[in-house]
This record gives sequence, C-alpha cells and structure tokens, in this order.
Amino acid sequence: MGHPYIPNTHEIREQMLDEMGVASIDELFADIPEKIRLKRELKLPKQMSELEVKRHVRAMLAKNEPFTKMLSFLGGGVWPHHIPSHVQSLVQRSEFLTSYTPYQAEVSQGMLQALFEYQSVVCELTGMDVANASMYDWATAIGEAALMCARVTGRKKVLVPELISPERFAVLQNYAAGPGLELVKLGYDWSTGQLDMSQLRAGLGQDVACVYVENPSYFGFLETQIEEIANATHNAGALLVVGVNPISLGLLKAPGDYGADIVVGEGQPLGNPASFGGPTLGIFACRDDQKLVRQIPGRLIGMTTTLDGKMRGFTMVLQTREQHIRRERATSNICSNEALCAVAAAIYAVSLGPRGLRELAEICAANASYAMKKLDAIDGLEAPIFTSPHFNEFTLRCTHPKFTVENLNTKLLKQGIQGGKPISKEFPEFGETAILCTTELHTKENIDRLVDAVAEAMGARR
Amino acid sequence: MKVGEHEISEGLYYTKDHEWIKFEGNLARIGVTDYAQKQLGDIVYVELPEIGKSVRQATEPKTKEMELGAVESIKAVSAIYSPLSGTVKETNQALQDRPELINTSPYTEGWICVLEPNNLEAERGSLLTPDAYATFLKTLT
Amino acid sequence: MKFKQASWANDAHLEPLVFELSRANRTGYTLPQKTPSGANIPENLVRKKLELPELSEPEIVRHYTRLSQMNYGVDSGFYPLGSCTMKYNPKICEELAALETASRIHPYQDEGTIQGALELMYKLERHLAEIAGVARVCLHPSAGAHGEFLGMLLARAYHKSKGKERKEVIVPDSAHGTNFASAAMAGFDVVVVPSNSKGRVDIGALRKAVSKKTAALMLTNPNTLGLFEDEILKIAEAVHKVGGLLYYDGANLNGILGKTRPGDMGFDIVHFNLHKTFSTPHGGGGPGAGPIGVSRKLEKFLPVPVIEYNRKRRRYYLDYRRPHSIGKVKAFYGNFGVLVKAYAYILLMGASGLQEATEAAVLNSNYIMHKLRGVSGYELKFDASGPCKHEIVFSAEPLKRETGVTARDVAKRLLDYGMHAPTYYFPPIVPEALMIEPTETEPKEELDRFVETLKAIADEARSDPEKLRSAPTQTAVGRLDEVKASREPILSWRMYRKLAKQ
Repeated sequence: MGHPYIPNTHEIREQMLDEMGVASIDELFADIPEKIRLKRELKLPKQMSELEVKRHVRAMLAKNEPFTKMLSFLGGGVWPHHIPSHVQSLVQRSEFLTSYTPYQAEVSQGMLQALFEYQSVVCELTGMDVANASMYDWATAIGEAALMCARVTGRKKVLVPELISPERFAVLQNYAAGPGLELVKLGYDWSTGQLDMSQLRAGLGQDVACVYVENPSYFGFLETQIEEIANATHNAGALLVVGVNPISLGLLKAPGDYGADIVVGEGQPLGNPASFGGPTLGIFACRDDQKLVRQIPGRLIGMTTTLDGKMRGFTMVLQTREQHIRRERATSNICSNEALCAVAAAIYAVSLGPRGLRELAEICAANASYAMKKLDAIDGLEAPIFTSPHFNEFTLRCTHPKFTVENLNTKLLKQGIQGGKPISKEFPEFGETAILCTTELHTKENIDRLVDAVAEAMGARR
Repeated sequence: MKVGEHEISEGLYYTKDHEWIKFEGNLARIGVTDYAQKQLGDIVYVELPEIGKSVRQATEPKTKEMELGAVESIKAVSAIYSPLSGTVKETNQALQDRPELINTSPYTEGWICVLEPNNLEAERGSLLTPDAYATFLKTLT
Repeated sequence: MKFKQASWANDAHLEPLVFELSRANRTGYTLPQKTPSGANIPENLVRKKLELPELSEPEIVRHYTRLSQMNYGVDSGFYPLGSCTMKYNPKICEELAALETASRIHPYQDEGTIQGALELMYKLERHLAEIAGVARVCLHPSAGAHGEFLGMLLARAYHKSKGKERKEVIVPDSAHGTNFASAAMAGFDVVVVPSNSKGRVDIGALRKAVSKKTAALMLTNPNTLGLFEDEILKIAEAVHKVGGLLYYDGANLNGILGKTRPGDMGFDIVHFNLHKTFSTPHGGGGPGAGPIGVSRKLEKFLPVPVIEYNRKRRRYYLDYRRPHSIGKVKAFYGNFGVLVKAYAYILLMGASGLQEATEAAVLNSNYIMHKLRGVSGYELKFDASGPCKHEIVFSAEPLKRETGVTARDVAKRLLDYGMHAPTYYFPPIVPEALMIEPTETEPKEELDRFVETLKAIADEARSDPEKLRSAPTQTAVGRLDEVKASREPILSWRMYRKLAKQ
C-alpha cells in the first residue's frame, strides 16, 4: 500500500518510468558512486500510522509538566501570557502557514500586508519609523544590530552593560567575532543597578560604534538614566541600541522618544506561546535615516502601487541589501526568519489595542510590585536587590545562611510552584539570587500562595 | 553615434566597464554609459563615493580602492570602477532624490562624480575613444 | 482548470490596512481584573500615547481571513520552487506542536519537568545523525542561514584549535546567496570556484583554488542545478588534502534520502533544513530550523547546552560543561515548536518512507525533465545526458530569443493558471533560469498539467506575447511597481502617514 503523503502509487510510478523509457527507479540514482551508496536501510523507527505517531509523541510529551498546570514565575527572555484563541486560529490558516517567502507579490498580498502591519505595529510600540519583517530572536537581533552599527559608523567597539543577559551576550560574542568587533562591559551602581555613567563616558571614545542597553534590564529594573545615556552616546558619534520586552512598551516610553537609533527585542510574548524557547521572534527597528535603512538586515515589506498606478499593494523592497543579490556583501545572511510568529504578534497587538496593551502592562507591573512587597517582608529575603523601578521582573535574594535559591526552588516545586531562575552561577557577586516574573496570568491568590510557600519553606516570619 | 539601441556620446572617453569620462580642465567628470543603464534596468539607488576619497585606476583583479560607489536596480547591484587614479572632488547629489537620471540622461544630468586625476599621463592611454568603445560594444551585442 | 484568486478590493486598494479599520474604543480582547497595588512606575518613564488600531474581534478575524484568501500556499496548489522543497505539511504535526505539553513549557523549568522535551530533541538529533551519516547533531539554529553561520563558526574554531587561522571559504558559482553571506559573516574571505560544462564543480579549478588558506568548501549535493556531484569523492579529497573541511548545504537533501549520506561522501559539517526536507511548514518565511551535524572531531565545539542522557539516573539533562564549545548562536535550545513537527514527520515516514519520498521526488523531477525538454522554447543548459535528482533547471532563453518574452513573464503567467512559479533567475549561471522542484507529494496529473501549461504559455508567447507581459491577471492584484517601492520606500503606517501629510 502507498503512503498517504505520496500520491504516485507504485503502479503510477511504473507508468511514469515506462513513459520515460527508464527501466527502474535505480537508474535515476546510477550516477551515485558505488562506494558511497547506502547498502542498508536507514536505522530509523519503522513507519508509523498517524494514530501510532500521535500516541507515541503524546506519551513522550506527557513527561513534560506544562507551566499552565503549575504556578510558574519564570521569565528571563521568554514570557508566558494569555494568547487570545483567534490569534492562533488565524495564523494556522494554511494559506499563511504553508506559503513560502512572498517573492511572487501578486499571489502573496495576504502575507505581505500582514507583515507590513507587523512592521507598523513594531514602529508604533518602539517609536521607530522602520522595522524589518523579523529576525530569529532578541539575541541574534542584538548581534545584527552591532554589525550594522559597525558598518554605519566604520568603528569597531561595542559597549554593553555588565548586567546584560549572559545568553544574549554569548550570542553577541559570536556575531562580533566575524568582523572582529571588541565588546566592552560597563559597570553598574551597586545599589540601583543603573549603568555607571562615569564608566560610560570614559568608555565612549571615537572608536565606539554603539552602546547597547536593555530596558527593562535582564534583572527587571528600568534604566532611569536612559536620556543621559542617549546624549552621551550621540555626543561621541556612536549609535544607541535599546533591547526591550515589547509588552513593557504598552506602558513605558517608546525608545524612539528617548533617543534610540535602533531597537531590538523579543517579540514572543506578543501572541506566541513560550514553546520551550522557540520559535521566538526577533524585533529589529530603526529610525528613518538613509544611512541606517540601507544597512538594516532582514526582509523589508514596502507599500507601492500596481504598475498602472491605480491599486495599492505590498512587495519586498530594498532586496539589494539581502544575500540573494549582494551575497558576501549583504547586510546579513538571513533568509527565512520568523514570519508567521510576526503575523501572530501583529494580530495579538491589534486585538489588545492601545488600551489593552496599557492595561496588560500595568497588571504585569502591579503584580510584580505586590510580589516584591510581600516577599521582601519575609525574614531572610530581599526583593528586589536594586532600588530602581521595575517592570514585571525582579530579583529575589536569599540572605538566610541556611538556604540557597536552588533548595528553595526544590521545596516550591514539591508544592507545584516553579520558582524564579537562579542567577547565582551567572552573577556570583549577588549571592543566592533568582529572577522572578509576573504577568496577567498571576492572580493575587497565586502570589499569596507563592509568598506563603516560600515563608513556610524557610520557616520564616513575615 | 549608436551601436544597435545603445547611444555613444562624442567628445567623451570610455572604459570596458562601461564608464564614460569627460575631461574638464584638470578634472574628469565620470558616469556610466547608455549600455550600462540599459543592462541595469530602472535604477533605484546610487551609492556615491565620499568627497576626498582616493581611488586607483581599475585593473584585474578588482579591489575596493578602485570603487567609486555603486548603482542599484531592484534586482542587482553594480559597482562603479574608477577609470583613473585620483581624488573625488564632487558628487552628483541630485542622484540621491532622482536616481532615475542615470536612466534618462546617462551622459548629462546622470553624471556620478568629478575626479581630480593624479596619474593622467600614464593612464590616459588605456581609455577608449568613442569609436573604440563602439567596436567593443559590437562584440557584446 | 481555471483559477481566480480572491481579491477584496475597492478602486484604490485591496483589503484596508488594519490601521484604516480602526474605530475608537473598539477592543478585541478582555483582561482579568487588576491586582490591588499599582504599577509603581515613575510618571516620566510612562508613555503619553500609543497609536495602535482599535478593532473588535470579529473585525480582526474577518480582516486576516480575507488576507489569507489573497495568499497562496502549498495547500492551495502546485508550488515547484526549486531548492525550497515545498512538500505537503502533515496536519498531525501541527496538532502535536500545539499540545499544551509541547507549547506551554518554559526553557528554564526544572529539568525534571521537561524530560519529554529533552527526550524528543535527543532522539531527533540521533535520527538526523543517522540520516546524514554524522556523529552528532545540534538543533539550535532557527533557520538554514543560521545553521550555515554556525557551521562556519565551527570551522573557524576547529582550525583555531589546530593553531591555524585559515581565512578562505570556497563556494561554487552556482551556490545559494546565503552560503556567501554566512561565510562572510563568520569573517571569511569567499573564493568562488566555477562550474564546468556539465554543470558540476570544476575539479581542476577547485584543485587550483584550495590551499593552506582554505578553511572549508561549502557544497550542496545534489547541486543547485539538481545534478549529483558524482565526483564528490575527488572533491572531498582535494579539500581534505590541504586540511580543509567539507561543509554540506542540506537544502537538497530530499534528493538523496536513504540512497547516500553526506557523512559517507566525506562531509565534516552537515546542515539540514527542517522546513524543507522534513516537511515543517514554511509559514510565509519562517519559523524554520537549520540543525547542524558534525563528525567526531568537531563535536567538542558544538554550542551549549548539549542534551545528554544519564544512564544511571535515567534522565536527560542539559550539559553546559563543554570547555571547547563556541558558545551560543541563539538563546535557549532551538525552535522546539518546529522540532516537534520534524520528529513526528520522521516517525510518520520511517526509514522506508523517507527513501520512498526521495525516489518519488526524483522520479517526479526526471519526469518533468523528460516531458519539458520536448517542448519548444525551453532547454536544458547543462548536462542532459544523465538523470537529474529532485529538481531540474531549465532555461527559457530559446523562448526569449524567439519572442522577447522572459522567464519572469513565463513565471507570472503560470500564476494565472493557479500554479506558483518555479524559482527564476537562479542559479545565476543559467540564463532565463526556471528552477523546478515538484517534490514527492505532487500527483502525476499535476505534473502533466504543469508541462501542458508551460507549453500553452510558450504558444501564447508566440501568438500573443502581451498576454504574458501583462500577466498575472487572475491573482488578487496585477504586477506591482517594484521600482517605485524601492525608490521611495514606505515601510510602515507611520511613514505612510508622514508622507500623506507632505
């Protein structure tokens, strides 16, 4: 019997071979040298029916505990939010799902317009004029931004905060390696976490291509000196790159309003599930400056008209920046990106609208504020460790000598609670510290439950 | 004169990379030929060289110091190679807003830059006269 | 078969932009109640306004549904894009990736709560390793080009560990643009090697191009002409002799599954496109996944974390103790949602099914080659003496000489017949190229219709070329002014508004 995904049955294939005057299918592979022909079947599982595959994969995945069945306070680059049902049902439409990159604009207006709307949404959130149709994730977007700044300024140094996410920094290092960019870490104020301005000013030589800051930071606090940072950066002829969680932009000032030249970030929280860290969605946007736009990586969708000028339409533009034309002198090697995730992000953003996104961000921040207050009240705990305003993530330090964050988390897990991400290994200078995240998924009762469980685990007073 | 559909302007010199040169006193005005703009199609962007840039006369293999910027259509990018060694004195800013000038008037309004040659005596001989360029074009078309 | 794509349009434009549909106070979503205390954000850090559209849920659904109707996917019809392997995407894979146990797990969860995910990835790595004949696979890269970049970083790390800095990467002139770009991004100089008259790598030229400066040769086999590089062993020898590495671009893996393996051909680094060969949907340009497989000697350089299995404790774990690792090319562990689909696909096909898929794909492509070479106007530029593999490149140059009509015109006219155009003008070594990859999920009837249609279009080119130049006319919109689009880019609603004000 044939395979459901292979319409040409054995008989039809024989018929085709006949028509071609070819004796057997083996003739079509005769040009493969004898020495490298596989003489055995591939050692893979036997073909399974759909029912068997379903059972097998479900059983395997059942060994996962989804955070929807626990109480989780994890964030750190991927943030769970509620996704309105219509978002996923729309992007699952097979005309979107099974299409390719919209090179044939005439039959792809759906995808092209949806991506233009995504670009537009990103611009409104970030205060930039131009956004590309996506990068792989926040980390690679930072890498590409550094490369772009180096190209635009002709300089080779990149300044980043010491408190940058270590994973994102690790990716940046690999992107910087190609052209040999130098990465310099800038210190922070011990009590506020804010970037050390004297170190910044000292570091801003004529060789600096860009300064990169995360706002909110990996540690959850907001960079209150951001306008000063922008001024200092620009005075040195360098570009300011700001990394964001777009959910925060429902409430916080747009980076474009405080001097960012390029904005990068993680678009996953807009309409895409956490999905074990992928697919994610790299946001990349910049000001409408010829010097920048010509150097932007990734796909760009532009508005135009039909040749007769009568109808509006959308098409991929400025393709001469891209790999299929510029090859080794392309602004980036990126080809496939995270297009469908971008469309989901656009649908999510327009569903919430400006008031919904504002309210959402307020709930996320308010929950964090409440959680910090209650956790800080527990003997032996400090939340947050920095005296700065925070968005929806914060640090929790255990100063009690008997407990580590790891063993607190183990105790919490027994109660069905997934505690924050321990950062003691990444940043030993902060001792037993973890990063926690709250979103609209958390109710007051959820947070109270966390607080009670932690207090109990520590045998502490509140 | 014409070779098939392609115009060749008298009074100019040419190169095999399809650039034209107009000597104006001790300076040389440079652009691309009608053949070149036809090959490229509708031009959407011109990358002009920096004023003060030093360039070398283009030879094989081509390198970055020989480039006087680039011309882009929607499907291709073509580097402009300098026909002479020298310094860029002036660039045609009109091309920033109206790159299509290269298509409509490649020999006049579509000029790209003005160069101050610094090795003219030695390099002049390698430039093509209109007739020589026409002969060369005939081998291509 | 007639075709007419939906076209939601008025006089001036198609479906309005979502921004144009906005009406104050409409909303498409409700939120749970607020928590007692406030957000505590200083006023000077708060934004004053956010200009996003306001629509109700039914309006949003209708808008995007209409947009989807003006889009064409594999599920709509024939999609013979060369080197993209637009094969059918099984729907069971979609169902599995959407399961709560697949999509609602966080990468930083306690390892005891994500054993299923780690097991799936571990097993997927091993299946891919077996298919390619390599020692170890890394699932981190999010796309093909991303995987290429990783491959280049691994090559760099390898040579550095040998105390050598090798600056050159060799790429054939027929290669995909990402090969050049990825090598350059990793800091290499690209050396281009020409193809011979049979459309394969010119061995003589290759032997001249390799040296102690060669870090790697990037090659796809079958190559971008759909032809098998039958001299691959000589190619491998030439590169290995000077101490270089051989990198395999997996875009064309669908042409050889179960027949031969890149590892056995001598490739040290093997790249995969899960959104091609392994049937995860292209999503209009992503998300995909571009895993990288390596031979033993390169294993230690792989990115962290590596998924390992502790036999004693019977647990999978994320291993970060890899002192020689190049670090990371992506945060977290890879596009898990895509990996689930590829894993399921491998099980649905099994060893026998994957081989059958390749056989059917190669047969479909050769069938088109056989039928189309009899059609006047199209010709094979390179070696027509032997079989092709899963794709074939034709040239529409004869038609152009005869009628002035180009490969682009032919492609645009194909859209009017309800078929997606093949890749055109690639590879650059073939004039008026039409790169056709039918895949195994295409029935014979569709292949016949395709050839018939190309024949009909060639006839139209002779009798009424204007029909082709004005094509397509049956799609949502006709040809667009791409020149205007790039000369005066309007890249967002913001830019559009600014321009309208002027």
